[in-house]
Amino acid sequence: MRSFEPPRRGAAFALSLGPSLRQLRTLALGLVGLVAGLPSAHAVPSFARQTGQDCAACHVGAYGPQLTPYGVKFKIGGYTDSDGKGGKVPISAMIVASFNQTAKNLPEKPEHGSVNRNLAMDEASLFLAGKLSDKIGAFIQATYDGVGRTTALDQADIRAVHTTEIAGKETTFGLSFHNNPGVQDPFNSMTVWGFPYTSSAFGFGMGDAATIINGALEQRVTGLSAYTFWNDLVYAEIGTYRSLPVTMQSRLGLGKADDIGRLGSGTAYWRLALFQDFKKQAFNVGVFGLNTSLQPDRSVPGSNRYNDLGVDASYQFLGTREHVFTANGSYIRERQTRNQMFANGEADNQKGRLNEMRVGASYHFLQTWGATVGRFTTRGTRDASLYSEGYANGSPNTSGYIFQADWTPWGKENSWGAPWANLRLGAQYTMYTRYNGAKSNYDGEGRDAKDNNTLFIFAWTSF
Amino acid sequence: MKLRTVPFGLLLLYMLSGGGHRAQAADLERGRDVFATECAECHSVREGKNKKGPTLFAIVGRKAGAVADATYSDPLKASGITWTPDRIDAYVSNPRKAVPGGKMKYDGLASSTERADLLAYLGTLK
Repeated sequence: MRSFEPPRRGAAFALSLGPSLRQLRTLALGLVGLVAGLPSAHAVPSFARQTGQDCAACHVGAYGPQLTPYGVKFKIGGYTDSDGKGGKVPISAMIVASFNQTAKNLPEKPEHGSVNRNLAMDEASLFLAGKLSDKIGAFIQATYDGVGRTTALDQADIRAVHTTEIAGKETTFGLSFHNNPGVQDPFNSMTVWGFPYTSSAFGFGMGDAATIINGALEQRVTGLSAYTFWNDLVYAEIGTYRSLPVTMQSRLGLGKADDIGRLGSGTAYWRLALFQDFKKQAFNVGVFGLNTSLQPDRSVPGSNRYNDLGVDASYQFLGTREHVFTANGSYIRERQTRNQMFANGEADNQKGRLNEMRVGASYHFLQTWGATVGRFTTRGTRDASLYSEGYANGSPNTSGYIFQADWTPWGKENSWGAPWANLRLGAQYTMYTRYNGAKSNYDGEGRDAKDNNTLFIFAWTSF
Repeated sequence: MKLRTVPFGLLLLYMLSGGGHRAQAADLERGRDVFATECAECHSVREGKNKKGPTLFAIVGRKAGAVADATYSDPLKASGITWTPDRIDAYVSNPRKAVPGGKMKYDGLASSTERADLLAYLGTLK
């Protein structure tokens, strides 16, 4: 299973929508999670059946999304590695159900839920995931959102790979056709794959503001990237994206209402990383970036430019797999040139910055019992118009901690149901020290950051 | 002279008291750990349990490519190898050199001590 903190769509929209829509979004703050809090998944039991491996071979704690070095190589290999036996059907499914409680009732009653203590079937997904030919593999997810009550194409990543030798070292060349910048990345430290790996649809995420590379384009774009992995050491990738036509978004179940607008033709994604697998331990360190412009209203000229630059690193102590420790971190610096927003009076400053830091550390015992702690901060330059309703002090700043304990009884060699089923039960607590610019009264209506503290108890199964 | 005699006497006493056996047990334990770290992702030690690679149950003395329901590369099947401790040691040391064209994606275990521990452990699987 590979699941992650869902798209922080609110951020990009905060930078692209007109004031009236922003106000509407802010007033519906409690509903943010309904569109932005849905978990998604990556890696499923069909991969285990295809390779003959246990879930624990590819995933830390025997459940996604944190990849072990073996999992990193499997993904870079285009999901094509197998045990050499035929007859494997690359189909899987997943269900996530949860109970959610916030410190203070949500500001608004969700359309399909209560103001607090929500019990929900968050999502049910169907996957085409696995080897399609010796050199082509796919991970395509369709999801029924049990909270929003919609069905749509979720994550998609189709790959073609070729392996050869350069300078006597194994070298993989690959192409990835996907629908979310970063979803194709093989390392745990990319924000798309950062902790928490699943979160409440009724929660508050990591604040309303986020960088554009951090989920804002998810599923609304198509991307093509080319990558290479040399000597199990150097990973390099370059790619580009185009926004999906509105009609196509509608056909895929995404709806027209959340159209992000039109991406500029010069959109460029790049990534460079070093990776080392010492068997007992492993690490990666790298840099990445996304440079793009976004025309929020397709019928009206004018766009805003975003230049994201990130650094990330990850360390794993694997040992004999009895005690596994991981640490992941990333820092993204986004430079915004808000030509369209400034011209329309939606932003006071034509230029601004938004920086995100995400760090997390986990420990797993016997690939079954896990504990994870995460720290998140989002800081940006102030802008009273851009960060108005729902924000304090014209600031997007949000910070907090996330704690999670989980139990994964299956997914190992001798587990019940292997390799057909896996299960994770967990409890997660998100604690906010600052939200949308302030510790207290951030929305002007007396709501404090700590009022958004969220307890999330989940059951996550795949088969 | 006395200083040399005393340690030798202690060593003799240690061996007679079963210390050598304990050393062997420690090797097996380390071998089990080496297996868990280096091999267990792709190999099981359970009889009849094949992962991406064949089970290593009763590997010592077995002919290469002999496990039913496991898949092997053509070079390995044609190698004619019988997995004696020496052949296993050479293969684990550098699989690509031992069986050119083989499919096992493993760079090799450089430490001769760890290989010896692993071999001691594999020898118990029968």
